[in-house]
Amino acid sequence: MQFHAKDVSDVLANKTFIDTVIVPVISIDFSETTMIQSSSAADYITNLTNFIEHQFRGRILLLPPMTYASGIDQTAQLAQMQEKIIAAGFKHVFFMTSEHEIHKLNEQFAVIWLPAIPLESMDNNMKQKILEDQLAKVIPLFTDKWANQN
Amino acid sequence: MSNNRVSRRQFLNYTLTGVGGFMAAGMLTPMIRFAIDPVLQHKGAGDFLPTSQKVAELTDTPVKVSFSFEQVDAWYKSEVSAMAWVYKEGDKVIALSPVCKHLGCTVGWEGSPSHKNEFFCACHAGRYTKDGGNIEGTPPQGPLDQYEVEEKDGLLYLGPIIPNTLVKK
Repeated sequence: MQFHAKDVSDVLANKTFIDTVIVPVISIDFSETTMIQSSSAADYITNLTNFIEHQFRGRILLLPPMTYASGIDQTAQLAQMQEKIIAAGFKHVFFMTSEHEIHKLNEQFAVIWLPAIPLESMDNNMKQKILEDQLAKVIPLFTDKWANQN
Repeated sequence: MSNNRVSRRQFLNYTLTGVGGFMAAGMLTPMIRFAIDPVLQHKGAGDFLPTSQKVAELTDTPVKVSFSFEQVDAWYKSEVSAMAWVYKEGDKVIALSPVCKHLGCTVGWEGSPSHKNEFFCACHAGRYTKDGGNIEGTPPQGPLDQYEVEEKDGLLYLGPIIPNTLVKK
């Protein structure tokens, strides 16, 4: 489900079924050499998380991305966010990112790190294919977590 | 000179009839066009969308058929991708919507190794038979929807989504 009024009311009505939250984490880099890469990575994570939401919309709530200025430590922010989500009654929290600095936190949090693929140069069919391939990689991460709790 | 000369009265009669006829036609044509317009109108929604799937290549095993259409959301136009599970039952082509009737996840054909010959929803282990019927005891409360199908030049076209017609209750 997306984080907008219509879907969120569905989430509240089906809380026992929707027990997983995905938080995209995106760093914003303004230095001239890497700004393009940064925007491309942001676009990729946005597209991919939307695609995952579409596949698993009955079990996942996708939050709007957490963005931060690159280089600033996010441990505290992630911890606070996770705490709030768990306190609200959700069982699983996944942070999805293509940033290395967030990937380093994966002992503390469930971080799914995927290298950014530049989608802007692709046509729609290619894009779809890439997203499907990436989704296939990510599915086991979710299903394992879901299977372990039962 | 010819013998049957046209009198002034006849000449005026002919001219007035002709001009009057044109005027009447000028008024009636738009009225008739307005009256029959609803019949001639194109149906915007409910058009059949082309896919790249050849009908001849379909078998009795469901395959994923992707297609895309343009969606206008206020001022924002976007290309939306969607898919269907398509297979042949005898000569009849059947296209099922992959949207789970529980909470809208995407179901997969034989998505779980322990449930062969069934559609499986990974979210909450919802199961459907091949014709889209929901299996009792799993979360979904209704059968999978169907697409209307059409064949044009050997290719499969998908139309509007309709309630499942295969499952008998």
